[in-house]
Amino acid sequence: MSLGTKYLIGLGCVLVLLSAAGCRTPTVGPDDMLDPRDIPIGHRFENGTRVKDANLVPVLFAYDSYSVSPAERHKLVVASEYLRSNRAMTVVLEGNCDERGSREYNMSLGERRAIAVRNYLLGLGVPNSRMQTKSYGEEMPADTRHNEQAWRKNRRVAFAVYE
Amino acid sequence: MYRVRLLFAAALLLSSLLLCHSQVVVSKTSAEKLTLDLSGFTTGSRGMAPLFVKTLKADLARSGWFEIVARGQGAITVVGSYEHVGKNLEVNCSTYNAVTKRKYMTESFWGAASEARRLAHEVSDAIVEAVTGRKGMSDSKLVFIGNRTRHKEVYTCDADGMNVKQMTHDRSICMSPSWGPSGNRLVYTSFRAQFPDVYLVDMKTFKRERIARFPGLNNCADISPDGRFIALTLSKDGNPEIYIMDLRSRKLTRRLTKTPNASESSPSWSPDGKQIVFVSDTAGSPHLYIVSVKGGARKRITYTGSENVEPDWGPDGRILYSSKRLGRYEICIYDPQRGDDSQLTKGDADYEDPCWAPDGRHIACARLIRYQSSLYLLDTMGDAPVRLVNLGGDVHSPSWISN
Repeated sequence: MSLGTKYLIGLGCVLVLLSAAGCRTPTVGPDDMLDPRDIPIGHRFENGTRVKDANLVPVLFAYDSYSVSPAERHKLVVASEYLRSNRAMTVVLEGNCDERGSREYNMSLGERRAIAVRNYLLGLGVPNSRMQTKSYGEEMPADTRHNEQAWRKNRRVAFAVYE
Repeated sequence: MYRVRLLFAAALLLSSLLLCHSQVVVSKTSAEKLTLDLSGFTTGSRGMAPLFVKTLKADLARSGWFEIVARGQGAITVVGSYEHVGKNLEVNCSTYNAVTKRKYMTESFWGAASEARRLAHEVSDAIVEAVTGRKGMSDSKLVFIGNRTRHKEVYTCDADGMNVKQMTHDRSICMSPSWGPSGNRLVYTSFRAQFPDVYLVDMKTFKRERIARFPGLNNCADISPDGRFIALTLSKDGNPEIYIMDLRSRKLTRRLTKTPNASESSPSWSPDGKQIVFVSDTAGSPHLYIVSVKGGARKRITYTGSENVEPDWGPDGRILYSSKRLGRYEICIYDPQRGDDSQLTKGDADYEDPCWAPDGRHIACARLIRYQSSLYLLDTMGDAPVRLVNLGGDVHSPSWISN
């Protein structure tokens, strides 16, 4: 065995060891960025034309809450059936809050409400790729009065359907 | 000239004799103040001179450290001149202790003839810093949101609420504006492309760039003290969480929260850039938490109040926030070093969106009465609140250039 061959074998061993070590080393960036419980929001789609006669009723929420109450669930069943029978249509789930409290927190809360509705619709078989979430926070009240009745109406996720 | 000097010396002597016992004015409704005599400021040329003196006087009074008094009655004496030199203004200014004769500062200031107000702001900050050793706030800018045009746009104004300029014409909803260090750059959120995205504006060229346009929510951007990163709220992974983005590569470098059953918002950097304070509702309602920018465990810092929101970590390390107490939103201050917490406002209105002035003493915030929002300047040392901008419509979400 010549010196050159020995050198090549040695180099090969080092490379094999290095690559094996590389496999065992966890990748730093992406692992850190994900949580096993994540269900990412689907890619943004071009909106198309707004369907004006979908007549899906907004889902209402309690103050500071994003859980879909049992009394509101029938609205989601109706929405999932509508989307199932109109397979070309997409929906933007518009999360809203009442005017009280922090604007920035309300943007996150409105988004969390829209995501709660998305997660429920996922369970009812609506594909992620047909849904977008969008929070308006407290910026787009359905009722501009400043009382309990208006606030109740404004804590909502509305279905904006496009085709 | 000799006579003027003689008169001036006599005035100094007189004031020092008169004022041995009235250097500090204490009253129950305002902070402790030094008396200051501005009457020695001569203005040789006409034109903008009255505006300069008026602005300087208002700035020094608003700084909170001084009470402007009549000729010969001040513990602090300001003398100087204000002249037109060609198309420019030249200001020479000296500040003395009337009693000890100690000179605090002698400085010259130059500016374009149209900049009388800005020059006055500069002189005021120099006097404040020379006498008190603290940074002033007059030569600085605020950014805020207004709806005068029926759309929510970004506006800027000077620290005294004057010189209001509409910065965006998005004809949409703008929110969460925030300055980068030195005011060179600004970030804000706009719905101008249908969804809430984060935009970065170069304040020299006014060039705008959309830097966060992930699926779902992009909001609450806050530039790090070194200007290299932003902290922001994104929901792309399925829930509103806090992330860090490298402003040069535009890549997300870290995710600071993983709370699938809660939502996060409003990140604000510590002055050393090592920690972030933010809002999370993991406890059922929104409260403040601190986390290292390297990640790791979070620490809850607010336990009083049913909601604690909108933190702003100030230049001296204290955290401002809005706290819901007895049904009202109040401005509160938390000191992480000492662990103590104090409430500044006292229930006469709702106070939201607080931010520190660069002097670390004053606060700009939104004050809500009957759902009408206006901008106010608050003093942590006792001066009465001052309304800042009179624009029409609602104004809110102020952010101050931090240095």
